[in-house]
Amino acid sequence: MTRQQAHPGPPRDVRRRDLLKAGLAAGVTLSTWPLHTPSVLWGAEAGQPKRGGILRVRGWDPVHFDHHLTLNFKTNTTLSFAYSTLVRYKVGVDIRPGTFTVEPHLAERWEQPDDTTYIFHLRHGVKWHNKPPLNGRELVADDVKFTYDRFITEPGNALRFALESVERIEVVDRYTVKFILKEPYVWLVNMLANPAGTWIIAPEVVQQFGDLKKAESVIGTGPFILERYEPNVKTVFKRNPDYFLKDQPYIDGVEWLILDDPSTGLAMYRAGQIDCGPAPWWSVRQQDLETLKKSHPHLVYQDFLSNVTSSVIYLRTDTSPFNDVRVRRAISMAVDRQGIIDGVYIRGEPTPAIARGATEWSLPIDQLGEGARYYQYDPKEARRLLAEAGLAKGFKTQINTTGGYGPDLLDAVQLVQHYLKDVGIEVEMKVQEYGAYMATTFLGKFEGMSMGPVSIAWEPDSVLYGMYAPDQPRNSAHVNDPKLTAMLQEQRRTQDLEVRKQLIFDIQRYVAAQQYYVYTNSNMQTGTWQPYVKNYAPNPSFDYGGRAAALWLDR
Amino acid sequence: MRQYVLKRLCLVVPTLLLISIIVFSLNHMLPGDVVVLMFEEKAYAKDLDALRAKLGLDRPLYVQYFSWLGDVVQGNLGESLWTKRPVVEEMMRRLPVTFELGAMGIIVALCIALPIGVLSAIRQDTLKDYAARSIAIVGLSVPPFWKATLVIVLPSIWFGWAPPLQFTPFAENPWQHLSQFILPALILGIAPGASLMRLTRALMLEVLRQDYIRTAWSKGMREPRVVLRHALKNAVIPVVTLLGLQIIQIANGTVILETIFGLPGVGRFLVDAMFQRDYTVVQGVILLTSSIIVVVNLLVDMTYAYLDPRIRYQ
Repeated sequence: MTRQQAHPGPPRDVRRRDLLKAGLAAGVTLSTWPLHTPSVLWGAEAGQPKRGGILRVRGWDPVHFDHHLTLNFKTNTTLSFAYSTLVRYKVGVDIRPGTFTVEPHLAERWEQPDDTTYIFHLRHGVKWHNKPPLNGRELVADDVKFTYDRFITEPGNALRFALESVERIEVVDRYTVKFILKEPYVWLVNMLANPAGTWIIAPEVVQQFGDLKKAESVIGTGPFILERYEPNVKTVFKRNPDYFLKDQPYIDGVEWLILDDPSTGLAMYRAGQIDCGPAPWWSVRQQDLETLKKSHPHLVYQDFLSNVTSSVIYLRTDTSPFNDVRVRRAISMAVDRQGIIDGVYIRGEPTPAIARGATEWSLPIDQLGEGARYYQYDPKEARRLLAEAGLAKGFKTQINTTGGYGPDLLDAVQLVQHYLKDVGIEVEMKVQEYGAYMATTFLGKFEGMSMGPVSIAWEPDSVLYGMYAPDQPRNSAHVNDPKLTAMLQEQRRTQDLEVRKQLIFDIQRYVAAQQYYVYTNSNMQTGTWQPYVKNYAPNPSFDYGGRAAALWLDR
Repeated sequence: MRQYVLKRLCLVVPTLLLISIIVFSLNHMLPGDVVVLMFEEKAYAKDLDALRAKLGLDRPLYVQYFSWLGDVVQGNLGESLWTKRPVVEEMMRRLPVTFELGAMGIIVALCIALPIGVLSAIRQDTLKDYAARSIAIVGLSVPPFWKATLVIVLPSIWFGWAPPLQFTPFAENPWQHLSQFILPALILGIAPGASLMRLTRALMLEVLRQDYIRTAWSKGMREPRVVLRHALKNAVIPVVTLLGLQIIQIANGTVILETIFGLPGVGRFLVDAMFQRDYTVVQGVILLTSSIIVVVNLLVDMTYAYLDPRIRYQ
């Protein structure tokens, strides 16, 4: 039945105005279409993989090539092209920057029969690079055992703490290796996936060279073979034809160029002499971003937050007045985090204990519960808290820092000095030489306060347990809070991922309320690459080699 | 002449000895400590004292100095504290690059100084003279690192072009190898070229007013002959002395330009070593460059004596 209109109007023709309106609406819809496309558009558009070409990118000159004898990122990033890990963080265009999901690599799968045993089953037929003394022999479980025995026992390995829970490693058979732990440690697999110090090596190479410091000793199972190392100039890698991931790498090689001067790197990128951005993570500095976008709009750009907290105020929480939570909260509320971002880092976000760039684990500030309050810039409330703590007239202290991280940190410290003065805290700035800073302040040997960045967060344990557990060398604030320690230990034993995630969130809320460390911000970073670089997406991990193996060039 | 050269040679020994003492002591007075830097990596010894002992840095400073000097006399500049590679070997690999850049810089400086200085003098107070002097002032005032940055950055923004900024060995591609030295050599040569040009002009003006030049003009000699043969040869003596001093400026300039233009020379090696407080490398590089400068100055003095036979060592 059709409902009759009481007063039917005149029949409506299509008018010119209607057509214009419809056209306008369609135009608006179509023009906004690209905004709704997923961020992996370039991956989807990459088309069919294409073989060939040399990738020319900004790299670093390694201090030497032995990853068990240095923490240095320059060594680890360079080695990422030639070596592989047992498991790894996923690589690909569908991986959102800041997510670090473990996937099989040299191990095709793993199992965990109980809380303290992990069994890894290796891929069959993985070959070492065809160089003496290995000459392309097959990778076996003994190699994995040798690698981790060296990792754990090498006195010079500064990363030994990462596997301190491992009691022993056993070879079950030619392709199976077992890790037996002293106590449950759910982050073991993540630690093995960290592209720092965990590259699998062969015993014959160490026997031949004594250590792995020389370029000739770089013989791995990775996607590229080290062909030539020219100090101060470049490291040249060629495609490994026997790489175990099917079809990869697509490119014929990589030139990992040493570009010490940022302006030189940027000019080369503008001129198309390099294929990806010249700053770390193949990005562009925020200071250069707008002019680059203006002059080179055709390049691909992708923003992502850093998984490093750029600056943190460390407080000696075991000494007065920083052992008083009201003083710590007052300091936090006296600091204008957005002011630091705007004035120094240009773009970024205030951050909790886990840098905002570690997207799976970091909580936004407004979800920090009671702790969120202390992230508000409120000098009046800060003064009230100080008065409540018996410090109405303020106090004098010092802040140690270093120029070793570049001028931005020093600028941020000066801003903090200014903010604290506003609430009556007189801070004397002591700038240390980088080496002296690392040997003293970095390890908690300072008076009053200090300021510097926090290590990279690929998983939450190293930045939480490392910074807050009483026995850890990185606990620079000398935190000793039994309730917090219990929470930290509990998350290390919790197998259920969702439950563990909630624990990690609770820890962030708890420490935000306690303000043992006053975290300021994570920077925004912008990855950029030439449009002919396909199937590439940035992620702030040292595995440049893995990402290079997955991409292809369509010039 | 022989006596003059011998006496100058005798002076070289105490000069080098003095340089070695200054280099050694200043290096150890720098803030920061290689032991602390290396210990941060934790890969070298169990504690700071053990590392200091391992590197031989626990001995009194004078013992370290004489031990180092003894090795230097035998041609051994020691090993890098970080890489354990011999300093001499590392430098020999890099010296050709720095020499090439320095030599091209000197050629550029001379190509600017002599023709423009002479032209400016013989066309005194004309537009050409003013233009040449103004350009010289600009060349002297703008520091090389700024010129280098502009040369690299501006064309890349305007035209999407940058000069070759990655080192290519001569054997691999001779043209590309030479082309990557052109811009840094130009920049390196501009400031010393400008200084030399101003001096050449001033000395030429002085010489051109001498009686024997007036005589030459009055004899009806042609301008090129008067200027180049009679005036320039006499005017150029102090220029040669200044050139000797400018070589120091050129050597200093290579440090920053090698970093900016990606040339793997001794200057860049020195910068890295200083950041890492690699004492043996810093000492070795500075001692070697100082020795080269001392030798160059000796050669300048000898040239001076050759050009003007009246000059004798007093």
